[in-house]
Amino acid sequence: MRTKKWSILLVAVLVVSMVLAACGGGKDEGSTKNSSGEDAAKAEEQVLNFINGDYIPSMDPSKVTDEYGFQFVGATMEGLYRLGEDGEIKEGIAKGEPEVSEDGLTWTFKLREDAKWSNGDPVTAHDFVYSWQRAVKPETKSEYGPYMMAGVIKNADEISKGELPVEELGVKAIDDYTLEVQLANPTPYFESLTTFGTFMPLNQKFVEEHGENFATSEATLLFNGPFKLDIKDDNQNITQANEWKLVKNEDYWDADTVQLEEINFVVSKDPQTNVNLYNEGDIDRADLSADLVDQYISHDDYRIVPQASVFYLKMNQERKGEQTPLANKNIRNAINNAIDREALVNVLNNGSIAATGLIPKDFVTVPGGGDFREENGDFAAYDKDTALEAWNKGLEELGVDSIELELLTDDAEGATKTFNENLAHQLETNLPGLKVNIKPVPFKNRLQLDTDQDYELQVAGWGPDYLDPFTFLSLFVTDGGNNKMGYSNAEYDQLISETQTTTDQEQRYQKFLEAEKILLEESGIAPLYQRARSQLHSPKIQGEIINKFGATYEWKWAYVAE
Amino acid sequence: MDQKNVNNLPKELFKPLVRKEDTSEKISRPSRTFGQNARRTLFKNIPAMISLVVLILIIIMSIIGPFMNKYGSNDQNLDHAKMPPRVPGLEKVSWLGFDGTLSDELTGATVEQATQKAYMRFNNEEDYIDIKVISDGDGSPNSAEIKATYHIYKAKGLEDTYYWLGTDQLGRDQWTRLWEGTRVSLIIAFVAALLDLVIGVAYGGISGYYGGRVDNVMQRIIEILSGIPSLVVILLMMLILKPGMTSIIIALVITGWTGMARIVRGEVLKLKSQEFVLAAKTLGTSDGKIIRKHLIPNISGIIIVNTMFTIPSAVFFEAFLSFIGLGIAPPKASLGSLIDIGFDNMQIYPYMLVFPAALLSIIMIAFNILGDGLRDAFDPKMHK
Amino acid sequence: MARYILRRIVYMVITLFIIASVTFFLMKMLPGSPLKAEDKLTEEQKQLVLESYGLNDPVPVQYVRYLGNLLKGDLGISYNFDNTPVSDILIDRLGPSMQLGLYAVLVGTFFGIILGLIAAIFHNGFWDYTSTIIAVLGTSIPSFVFAGLLQYIFAVELGWFPVALWGEPKHMILPIIALAIGPMATAARFVRTEMIEVKGSNYIITAKAKGLSNLERVWKHGFRNALIPLVTVMGPMMINLMTGSMVIEKIFAIPGIGEQFVTSVVVNDYPTIMGTTLIYAFGFILILLVIDLLYGLIDPRIRVTGGGK
Repeated sequence: MRTKKWSILLVAVLVVSMVLAACGGGKDEGSTKNSSGEDAAKAEEQVLNFINGDYIPSMDPSKVTDEYGFQFVGATMEGLYRLGEDGEIKEGIAKGEPEVSEDGLTWTFKLREDAKWSNGDPVTAHDFVYSWQRAVKPETKSEYGPYMMAGVIKNADEISKGELPVEELGVKAIDDYTLEVQLANPTPYFESLTTFGTFMPLNQKFVEEHGENFATSEATLLFNGPFKLDIKDDNQNITQANEWKLVKNEDYWDADTVQLEEINFVVSKDPQTNVNLYNEGDIDRADLSADLVDQYISHDDYRIVPQASVFYLKMNQERKGEQTPLANKNIRNAINNAIDREALVNVLNNGSIAATGLIPKDFVTVPGGGDFREENGDFAAYDKDTALEAWNKGLEELGVDSIELELLTDDAEGATKTFNENLAHQLETNLPGLKVNIKPVPFKNRLQLDTDQDYELQVAGWGPDYLDPFTFLSLFVTDGGNNKMGYSNAEYDQLISETQTTTDQEQRYQKFLEAEKILLEESGIAPLYQRARSQLHSPKIQGEIINKFGATYEWKWAYVAE
Repeated sequence: MDQKNVNNLPKELFKPLVRKEDTSEKISRPSRTFGQNARRTLFKNIPAMISLVVLILIIIMSIIGPFMNKYGSNDQNLDHAKMPPRVPGLEKVSWLGFDGTLSDELTGATVEQATQKAYMRFNNEEDYIDIKVISDGDGSPNSAEIKATYHIYKAKGLEDTYYWLGTDQLGRDQWTRLWEGTRVSLIIAFVAALLDLVIGVAYGGISGYYGGRVDNVMQRIIEILSGIPSLVVILLMMLILKPGMTSIIIALVITGWTGMARIVRGEVLKLKSQEFVLAAKTLGTSDGKIIRKHLIPNISGIIIVNTMFTIPSAVFFEAFLSFIGLGIAPPKASLGSLIDIGFDNMQIYPYMLVFPAALLSIIMIAFNILGDGLRDAFDPKMHK
Repeated sequence: MARYILRRIVYMVITLFIIASVTFFLMKMLPGSPLKAEDKLTEEQKQLVLESYGLNDPVPVQYVRYLGNLLKGDLGISYNFDNTPVSDILIDRLGPSMQLGLYAVLVGTFFGIILGLIAAIFHNGFWDYTSTIIAVLGTSIPSFVFAGLLQYIFAVELGWFPVALWGEPKHMILPIIALAIGPMATAARFVRTEMIEVKGSNYIITAKAKGLSNLERVWKHGFRNALIPLVTVMGPMMINLMTGSMVIEKIFAIPGIGEQFVTSVVVNDYPTIMGTTLIYAFGFILILLVIDLLYGLIDPRIRVTGGGK
């Protein structure tokens, strides 16, 4: 998922209000750190109050593209599986582990028979078939459907291009409660994929009945997850509601586990306002902007939530059909080595850490080894001398003595602005003869300029869409949809494509490690930082899970402590 | 005095008046031109003169201010980030806020706990943090309150360093940036006002002087243009143009000139039917000369006054654009972008907001008062 | 009179037409499209998306269709909010903004008049300078800074009002004050100038000669005559309000149109930008018209008739 730098952070200020009984000084503190929090007593009133950083742009599982869409689809719907703590796969509509064929291409899921839609219909295998077909076929105009399914589910790619009829999609209902999926490639992370919003089932009858209006208002939504979305006015457009709540879904198959009765949301965008609301006890969580961290770092409720999004500098080698100085490997290496990432995260001041590669820390573990990041080591060392040496060599090869580069960034606010200024300043100071012109544009414009490959340097970010290095490393294959910087390396392409067909996990990860090394050793990109968010978080929220992808927060197991 | 007495005035008191040619026609006040009168009125207007002096000082400072210390406007030094203001001499007077310390009030269950928080808050530089206990607390949450003062300059070993107005998040000297920002803001405002003036006077002058069909068409165009909310146009222009000074100026001018054009047209309409213009025409003076010699001098007052009010509103619009993130491109600063940064730090580093916001307000106030003063000065009724 | 109104309405339509056209072509010049994460779509899908928004047709065709839809009150579908007509967005967001704006104008004008009167009565005295300074400060402190200060002092420190959010009357107080400061300053300055002018006029001198007290003179004779031209500054006031509302709505988390406009600009939601622009322009022109008509009504000396001056 594209990561929008700051706004997301401003956003996810959740909060609880009501009971001002935040009285638990010493006693509660211990259990705060422990998110399972078995020891904390349950409060009488299971209500939380949160802030949402923006309106919900869409609730149609096939069409959601943004953080909030995925958040509320995730809370109100359930796919084959659900993500538990640390990305652990928990049972959802599927019962038990799937049966996987020898070649890893045929997966059979047994579905539970007690799962119901909020209109009383049972959730069946047909609902999955319908939904996945809907997501893939071009007429739906789903952005995530083809992206998530192409190359994973058999024929998805061809169908999304209109080359095959949608019935050919490799998914079928053997009977009402047995789902068989044919994959295009053995996809070891397929279970984690099915937790993603795009893979949620849909009740065909209901969707078709509402046609264009499906998922636009509370009246045209159907739920099968732990919570139901409740807007004051049943017919109000969801995208226009600035207040809404999640209420416990009594028809949910696992309703006994769900303890929260109600979660209230209201839209508020200004971080200072949100913190003030938190201090007043109106809300139970507030994300902090960098400027607010200094003030609240000593607050009892302060915490840092690490994320799996990585930001990096894209170096465009070919702009408008012409080679840029960045096509020179020495110039790229010089830039990579000239960046002091510790200083940059210091400016961000929100717990973000320096990125040393493309794959984030604590994201995946190499089979039979440690964390991917640690296994592959540090590719983004700050070394002024090496940088200078490479720089001079690069200049010589290009036959120039100075270079002017444009740095494309979001025009986001606060720390991002200072971040960009500091980055430009570092490059200019460490590489004599370099002039960096910052070009801040709105987020969407940056994406457009990226698509048009109309930039030289760009600060871009990426958050994972599933639990596999492929979500990051497939970005930079030659002519890939997200490459858009003229990077091309045959060896890299070869390795990435091999990972799709290799079933042996150990070998597969070797290829990933190798590929990342290739990409970074010639500085295809320059990693910058791995994002975290700082927030004030009420200690009474217990059992809440923070996901690395998909819906940010998982409230199925959450409860309010005394 | 009663009636009788008046009637009984002695005759000797009456003397014949000696007619003197020179005294009867004598003008008791020195003869002054309109311009001299205006200047006199203005000079007597104390608030306006103070404003004028203040503005001149600000303009001078925006030119020389950045060179008054050794820091450049984009000299980043993260080790010196977020330093509070410190001014030699004034640092001894703690309540002025130029003593180079940061302070905060913290609470905790006990004084120790609150103190721990204070250490955490200020980089754990325990040796350089003064703790003053405000209330001892009884062990219940947040009952103890302390005031911690952090001598950040000492802690960083910068006893001999002075950032007069502190530094921003990247350790850039705020004094330098403040004056450079002022310069940027003022240039934008002056250029925008000047362009407004040129376009507005030309348009309004032509429209008013030629009248008839020309006037009719030109007025309809203005009428339609002024129906467009300027702010919306400015925002849209900012989207299309590359961020920077030129874009802001263009965006401001594109709708700004209509006000001036309307005023000039009204004045010209009024003047051109007056006798002295008629007389000039009868004598065969050319149109150009009439406009130059007779009309422009007569409307210059109102033009100047109007410009005086355009400048602060341009300063303000620039600040607004920068505040919502569509203003000047970094690393350049403007008053608006400085206020934007200051606003985010309002509660914890108030100095980042106070200085640029105060300067902006002073500029706005001074221009407004000076504008008022000039209006009075050009109003013959006010001449004494 | 009828002819004048008719003429004004014709101009209104022309103005709106020009604004609609200009925004349309400006938007065509900008990068960006309704595609949310372009890189993820197949070519086939892209075509379908563009087609559903009618972006595959030549620009002139799009333009004619856009104008046609406008006549029907159809402002298109938002690029940002899935399947949401722009008109729905505007209707939802307009409410809070108009409420806020209306109260701010009323409150601001009321206190502005009082300040202006005080200044005029005690012309060149202590109270004159005080109220002038308040008024000038009001126009010179950016409303966003003022809003932030209000929130900090009255909500965070003193706890008298809610910090933010919208819905109950108590939520409206701080934003109204923050927004009213501009109109207040404008009104105060205006009333003061007018009053001082009126004070020097013959009929007031007559009233003084009749032996009316200062207060009576101001109230019975001066005030009413000074008030009438106040209507003419309502236009600039509205501009002031628009600027203010864009940031104040964000600071106080109010679901209003100003905040929506700024967001739309940032996320390139062109149909919403165009719709909002038109609504702003429409409201603005309408206010100008009403002001002109009102002016004619309350001041009999000014006759609103056809033809220029």
